[in-house]
Amino acid sequence: MPEPASGTATPSLHTVKSFGDQPVWKAGDAIRISVRYPIAHYRVPRYIRGKRGLVEMVIARALVNNEEEGFGRNAGQLGYYYRVAIPLQELWPDYVGSPNDNLRIEVFETWLEKN
Amino acid sequence: MTPTEQLVTRLPNDIGGLEAGRIQQTDHPLEPWEKRCHALADVLDYHKIISTEEKRRGVESLGGKMVGELTYYERWIVAFANILFQKGVLTPDDLAKKMEEIAARWKG
Amino acid sequence: MDAHDHHHDHTATAAPQTEAPPGYYETMETALRELLVEKKLIGAGEIRRQIEVLDSRTPALGAKVVARAWVDPDFRRRLLANGRTACEQDFGISFYDDTELIVLENTEKVHNLVVCTLCSCYPRPVLGLPPDWYKQKAYRARAVRDPRAVLAEFGTIIPDDVEIRVSDSTAVVRFLVLPRRPEGTENFSEEELTALVTRDSMIGVVPVQLQTGILS
Repeated sequence: MPEPASGTATPSLHTVKSFGDQPVWKAGDAIRISVRYPIAHYRVPRYIRGKRGLVEMVIARALVNNEEEGFGRNAGQLGYYYRVAIPLQELWPDYVGSPNDNLRIEVFETWLEKN
Repeated sequence: MTPTEQLVTRLPNDIGGLEAGRIQQTDHPLEPWEKRCHALADVLDYHKIISTEEKRRGVESLGGKMVGELTYYERWIVAFANILFQKGVLTPDDLAKKMEEIAARWKG
Repeated sequence: MDAHDHHHDHTATAAPQTEAPPGYYETMETALRELLVEKKLIGAGEIRRQIEVLDSRTPALGAKVVARAWVDPDFRRRLLANGRTACEQDFGISFYDDTELIVLENTEKVHNLVVCTLCSCYPRPVLGLPPDWYKQKAYRARAVRDPRAVLAEFGTIIPDDVEIRVSDSTAVVRFLVLPRRPEGTENFSEEELTALVTRDSMIGVVPVQLQTGILS
């Protein structure tokens, strides 16, 4: 067991986290869904792209981006999904229901931008 | 975006918000082969021979006409075949011969 | 639903119980399964076992979870905090597809509705396989566009001052709606409550009512 050098202070408990260790967003953050057009496989439906909303919660465990899994890549960098709330009036400007009606959807962090 | 670009950038399963008619509140008990097909999907995912995500991608890549006209489990089984060919697990000829063999079991 | 043809031209030696020959897609299913078993990539017993797993998952399980949440505040709290863990710990329900479960509580102010616009994600471990309408275009396309009209087609009218939340599954999370406990059930036992909870109420298209049962 390596001996601490004499005279050094107790090492700080601060540790450097790897990319993807920590969620990028937190509940309440204002976000926008990115606009881009992957082909062949995606899990962010077109109707939410470019729309603004709020992060409701971080989905508990870090996971592989399922868009990558579509072609058999089942390992790699983990990241977080977020449950995002988007008003239906934001999605559909002519929406006729209550202004409080909203969508909740899981979006992987590579699709979220600061609003 | 041009219509032909749309054909590529909108997957045939990406239908949230599109125009559609009334909901037909139908259900049917699965036929035995449909249930076997579902069980096969789960087992293929357990072994990561075909993961759930690969299965989804396989169905999407059938294209709009097949996605629109085949039944749910018909889409799945064709997608499984294509993915197994792509992965080199089976060849198209393996499947054709086996299907012929099975059909022959029913001829007296 | 059933698009393939059934041929009834198989005569000569047919025993009385002989079924029609399998259709094209059924033959493909049998062929793929047999080829994978021959190559020892899967075991024949695994398919049989998984069919038993599937058969053991029905809305009756979800109904038990809902009724327990109605009568047991501690369970309800844990269920809403982590649906999967609560179902595993208290009911021994395994999440064979390795999905997470978020339980969405309906209240006086909020009505939840569940859909999967991209495919057919569904809380299979607790409800079994989804009904056909859940997988078809009309429901998937419209639930996120005009949920109030969709609910009205199921006979459910939600007042304007109640917020509608539509949850669209895209990844690893599945959703189970915890419907409101109907009025007039204060003296019901947990079993009696269980019998009231329908599949459709746990998808969020109808409320639980005193007259309904597990079959709808």
